Amino acid sequence: MATSLKTTPLHPWHVGRSANMAAFGGYEMPLWYPAGAKAEHLAPITAAGLFDTSHMAVLTLRGPLVRPLLQHCFSKDLDRCLGPRKTPLVPGRCVYGVFLDEAGCVLDDAIVYQCGETDYMLVVNAAMGAPVAAHLRRHNPDETRALVHDHSDALGKMDLQGPAAAKILARILRNPDQVFDRMVYFSFKGTFAPHLLPGAPVTLLDGTPVLVSRTGYTGEFGFELFVAPEHTTRLWQLLLEAGAPEGLLPCGLAARDSLRAGAGLPLSHQDIGPWLFADNPWLFVLPWDEDGSGFTKDFGGGRAVLAAGSAPCTLPFAGFDPRKIPLGAASKVTAPDGTVLGGVLTCTTDMAIDRVDGVIVSIATPVAGGRPESFAPRGLCCGFVRLDVPLPPGTEVLLTDGKRTLKVEIRDQIRPDRTARTPMATMLS
Amino acid sequence: MKEIEELKLPDDIRYTDDHEWAKITGDTVLVGVSDYAQDQMGDVVFVELPAIGDTFAKGDEFGTLESVKAVSELYMPMSGEVIAVNTALADSPELINQQPYATWIVEIKPSDPSEYGQLHDAASYLQLLKG
Repeated sequence: MATSLKTTPLHPWHVGRSANMAAFGGYEMPLWYPAGAKAEHLAPITAAGLFDTSHMAVLTLRGPLVRPLLQHCFSKDLDRCLGPRKTPLVPGRCVYGVFLDEAGCVLDDAIVYQCGETDYMLVVNAAMGAPVAAHLRRHNPDETRALVHDHSDALGKMDLQGPAAAKILARILRNPDQVFDRMVYFSFKGTFAPHLLPGAPVTLLDGTPVLVSRTGYTGEFGFELFVAPEHTTRLWQLLLEAGAPEGLLPCGLAARDSLRAGAGLPLSHQDIGPWLFADNPWLFVLPWDEDGSGFTKDFGGGRAVLAAGSAPCTLPFAGFDPRKIPLGAASKVTAPDGTVLGGVLTCTTDMAIDRVDGVIVSIATPVAGGRPESFAPRGLCCGFVRLDVPLPPGTEVLLTDGKRTLKVEIRDQIRPDRTARTPMATMLS
Repeated sequence: MKEIEELKLPDDIRYTDDHEWAKITGDTVLVGVSDYAQDQMGDVVFVELPAIGDTFAKGDEFGTLESVKAVSELYMPMSGEVIAVNTALADSPELINQQPYATWIVEIKPSDPSEYGQLHDAASYLQLLKG
């Protein structure tokens, strides 16, 4: 294994548990543990899974000019982004969006957390801390009034995902009732470092400060948890012990990728990246005005996106069995007659779903919703394609790598009955 | 990932460079994949099998194993005709992970039984894995 790869604080734990390790984003990370990627894909849908995400980068921003700086650089309009009434971002809430360059191409996607009146936190992808910090500094008129600090490799982060996540987390928090009270999707409480970032005092039973965010990358109910690096392994072990009765499994990047693909979430630099951010399923991150004809603010890359004519179109797809196409230059999307339509961005297998009389059903689908009593899904190939022309959902196309050809269907959604937005009270009852 | 010392390598079968195994059972040969192969691939989620009656030369691709990670081709350890395929794999591809040596993929009637002697025995295969 190349010695240049970075590691997270949990690396010794992963290796000690015989995880299958691989390079991702410059880090040596677990792909799966001995339970296997299929069990690790199913656990966050039926019970809970725990993912090491300490390879992701965190920036903190402090000062009176931070909000204008983010308004200038981030795709969401922070003054009009919460709920159906489009209220301003406030402390305790976070939003998902993208950073674009002037040409409207994606630098990275990110979640912006507002922690105090003039304190913010940004979570970006592995190895993207420095580039995003540099991008912000380039647009920063006054560093003393908008201080940008990159915490890459100085933070422990893990994602606890699945319907049992709140019950498990409650067992190790000092004040779970307060933490979970009115904790809606895309809200958070606490701080990982009280001297760096303001936040309500959320702690583990032993007093360790933790930031609890009701977000994730699986499409399922759960949390992203942030602690100082020296507490990472202990938090991980506390959670695994607390979650044993529910069958909580440590989960690797293979399950993380198949879960997010089935949930319709993009992987930065694979599904979105250095090409125009247009005609894709994630345009909700743009600051649309009421009638959807323009933007409510001017921001970096916004004009290029609005001025774009017809761009290649990114669409979700799902197949009819678990078989995949390897990604690469040889992999193409064609019409049934062989006409090339575009390329394949993501192709993986969602092992929790299968087709029942043509309709996609998940292991989480209620029997009343169409799941057969005995349902053993084989899994369906799914992901995203990028086509020269848009095609409506239901259209069948072929994926081919020159060797194998698979029939797949353009979709709006892939895995049904996801739990990410289920109210906290329902999950705790 | 298993350490080399943890891998099961029975000595009553022979192995290929591509990590298939071959086992003589009377006039026929059973073919599967090694513990090393299944451990590297991770969970097998789909198996593409040849048709009964297909004939292959030694080294020909005869099917694929679809794992969570990738698509892996299967290569014939010996020349011959497919006389049976393991139909249980259609519903339970995970058998390959759970019992790599009890789970045969195809049964062939070899056209040149002497090819068996050209395959790695367990000691030679272990050396190959150790690099």
